[in-house]
Amino acid sequence: MTLLKVDNLHKNFGSTKAVDGISFRVEKGEIFGLLGPNGAGKSTTISMISTLMPPTKGEILFEGRSILEEPKSIRQKLGVVPQDIALYPTLTGYENLGFWGSMYGLKGAGLRKRMEEVADIIGLNGRLKDRVDKYSGGMKRRLNIGAALLHRPELLIMDEPTVGIDPQSRNHILDTVLELNRQGMTIIYTSHYMEEVEYLCSRICIMDQGRMIASGTQEELVELIKGETLVSLKLDKPGKDILEGLRSVKGVTKAELVLGEIAVTGENVDIILADIIARITEYGRRISSIDVKKPNLEAVFLHLTGKALRD
Amino acid sequence: MKIVKIVLKDLKTVLSDKKALAMILLMPLILMIILNFGMKGVFMSGDFGDMSRINIAVVKQYDKAEDILRFDRTLSSGFFSQGMSKETAEELRESGEDVDPEGIFLGDFLDSEEVAKIISYRVEEENRAYERLNSREVSAVVLLPDNFIYDMKINMLTPFRNKVDIRVLTHPDMSISGQVVRSIVEAYSDAMSSVIIGKNVLVEAAMEHDLGDDGFKGMKETMEGISSAMEGIRVDIDNVEVEGRKNISSADYYAVAMLTMFILFAAGHGGRMLLEEKENMTYHRMIMAGTPKLGILAGKFFTVFLIALLQISIMITFSYYVLKVQWGSTLPVMLISLSSAFSVAGVGSTLAAATFKAGNYKMANIFETGVIQTMALLGGSFFPVDILPSMFQKLSFLSLNGTALKAYLKIMMGYGMEEIIGYVGVLTAIGALFLVLSVLILRGEGETVNVKYNKIKTAKA
Repeated sequence: MTLLKVDNLHKNFGSTKAVDGISFRVEKGEIFGLLGPNGAGKSTTISMISTLMPPTKGEILFEGRSILEEPKSIRQKLGVVPQDIALYPTLTGYENLGFWGSMYGLKGAGLRKRMEEVADIIGLNGRLKDRVDKYSGGMKRRLNIGAALLHRPELLIMDEPTVGIDPQSRNHILDTVLELNRQGMTIIYTSHYMEEVEYLCSRICIMDQGRMIASGTQEELVELIKGETLVSLKLDKPGKDILEGLRSVKGVTKAELVLGEIAVTGENVDIILADIIARITEYGRRISSIDVKKPNLEAVFLHLTGKALRD
Repeated sequence: MKIVKIVLKDLKTVLSDKKALAMILLMPLILMIILNFGMKGVFMSGDFGDMSRINIAVVKQYDKAEDILRFDRTLSSGFFSQGMSKETAEELRESGEDVDPEGIFLGDFLDSEEVAKIISYRVEEENRAYERLNSREVSAVVLLPDNFIYDMKINMLTPFRNKVDIRVLTHPDMSISGQVVRSIVEAYSDAMSSVIIGKNVLVEAAMEHDLGDDGFKGMKETMEGISSAMEGIRVDIDNVEVEGRKNISSADYYAVAMLTMFILFAAGHGGRMLLEEKENMTYHRMIMAGTPKLGILAGKFFTVFLIALLQISIMITFSYYVLKVQWGSTLPVMLISLSSAFSVAGVGSTLAAATFKAGNYKMANIFETGVIQTMALLGGSFFPVDILPSMFQKLSFLSLNGTALKAYLKIMMGYGMEEIIGYVGVLTAIGALFLVLSVLILRGEGETVNVKYNKIKTAKA
C-alpha cells in the first residue's frame, strides 16, 4: 500500500532549480532511502514533504490526500527529524520532550508515559534531567529523534540524522531506526552516507543536482552496473594524464580521479587488473594501495554521475 | 493552551540564560545604585553642567510710580527728617532717586553674568504668567510684591526695615528647575539682606558715636556697592521642596529611570526570539506540530510581557528595601506597571516579527544599541527631561520609557489616579498598536516557512 506519492516535484529558488521533477512512492512499512551528495536536493524535498515549504510545481499525496490542500491534518501523522538539532539547549532533555509532546497535544499522565517510552527507545533514560547543552553530539541527535516520535507518527522523515556524531551513537541511531521500522513505522531516511542507506533501506532514490538519477531496491540499482567492478588505486602522483592511459586499457569502461584516488571501472577487472598495473608502471607511477570493490551504491553513483558521493 | 506552554518554555529559556539575566535584571540594579550615589549631589545642588536656561516669568504686583511718590513723601515727613540737616535730606533724596530696586533685581541680578547663564526671564502680566506656568512654558513665576519699590527703598536708604516677600511659584512637574529658581531668588534675598545689614550697621554706628546725620552721607556710596554685590552672588542651590508634593530624590528618580529604560531590553530580547527559533529549526518543528504562527507570536508577546513584569517587580522590590524608594499608592503603580509591560510586549512582538521577516538580527541590534539609548535620553532615563534643551524636551513624547517614567514619578510625588490615567492610556495604545503591526508583518510571511537550503549553491555548481 502506497503511503506517500511524490509526483513531478519541482522547487526553484530564483533561477536555481533545487529540485527538478522528482517522482517516487513510499510504501507503508518500508524504509525508503534518499541518497545523494550534499546539495542534491534531499533536504528541500524533505521540507516539501513535511509541509514546511510549498513546491513550485508537482504533487505530494499522503494516503491519497494532497498535503498541499490538507497540511494541518496530515502534519499530525508526520514525524520530522530535521538535519539540525531542533531543541532548546538550555532546557533539560525532560523539559524538551515535555514541550514537544505538549505541542502535539499530549498532556498529563499520557505525556509522561510516552516520554518514558521514547526515552527508552532513544536510550536516554538516565540523562533526561541534564541540560541538552551538556549532552554529547550523539545524545543530542537521539533526543532530536525522540522529539519526533512522541506523537506516534505514521511516517517518520529523517534528514541526515547521523551527521557529525561518533560511530557508537551512529550505530545506536541506525538500530533505533530498524527497531522503529520493525514496530511498523514507515521511514524516509536521507543521507549522503552510502553505507547507512545500504544498511537500512529496502528501496532507494538516488538524487544529484536536484534530479532523481536512479531508484529501486539495492539489487535493482546494483544491476545497473552488472558485471562491472570498481578498482580504487592510490598513486604517488595521481595526475589526469594517466586517466587517458587507463581508459585505453581493453575492458576498462571508466577511469576517473575521485578524491585524489584513481577509480577504474571495467568488466572482469580481476582479469585486466594486471594490465592496469602495467599501464601505471609505464607512466612511471608507484601504487601505494589497490582496493577492488564489489558493486555497491557508491559504484552506482560513480557510474551514473562520474563523481563520488562525498564530492 | 499551546501558548501557555510556549510562554513557560520561553521563560525557562530566559531564566536559564545567565547572560540575558545579567542584562535585564542585574544591570539595572547595579546602575540604580551607582546613579543614585553618583547623581545624589547633582540632585541636591542642581548643577547639571551644560543644561539649557530655565525660563521664568516675573510679575510686578506693585505700582512703581506710586511707590516712588510714597517714598518721597516719607522722606519729607517730619518724623523722618527730624534732626537731619537740609543738605543731608537733599542728598538722601538724590540717593533715593538713584537707587532703583526694580533695576537691581532685573538688571543687576537676573541679567548678571552668573544668573543669566541659568535663567532667562520675561516680565509678564500676572494672569498670563500663570497661564505660561500651567502650560509649562516657564518653570516658575517670581512675584515681586505690592509696595516692592517703596519697601526696598526704605530698607536700602533708611534705618528702617520693611518686610519684602518675593514669592516663587513652581510647576510640580518641573520640580528640579523650580528648585533652581527658588534657590537663586533666595541667593538674591541673602545678598540684599547683607547689604541692608551693612547699611544699618553704618547708620547705627554713626548714631552711637553721635555723628548726627553723617551716617547718611555715605549712603549713596553704600548703595552703589549693591551692583557689585549682585555680581558677586554665587548661585548656591539648595534642595527646596515643591509645595504640596513629595520631593524626588536621586534614588527615587533613578529607580524609575532604570526601570523604565531596562524594560525596553525585554523588548529587544523578545525581538530575537522568533528568529532564534527559526535558526534553531524549533520554529519549523512547532509549525510541524500544528502550532499556528500567530500562536507562536502570541507566545512571544506574553513572554516579553511577563519578563517586563518580572523586571518591574524585582526593581521595585529592590529599590524599596535597599534604596528606601517610596513608590506611592499600590493600585496606580500596578496599573502603570501593567500598561508599561503591555507596551513593551507590543514593541517586542513587532521587533520579533520584523527581525524574523528580515532574517537577520540587524533590527534587534539597532533597537538595543540605538533606539533604546535614544529613548533613554529623550525620555529622561539619563537626566531629567526638564533640564534638557527644549528641542529634546519636545521629542520626549516619542519615548515609551519617558511616558512610563512621568507616570511613576507623578505617583511618587503624591498625585492621584486621575493624573496618570492618560499615561496609562498612551502606554496601552502603544502596546495595542505595535501588537497589531506585528500580526500584519507576520501574516505577510505566508502560510509556510522557508527553510535553510545551504546546499543549493553546490547543486547549482
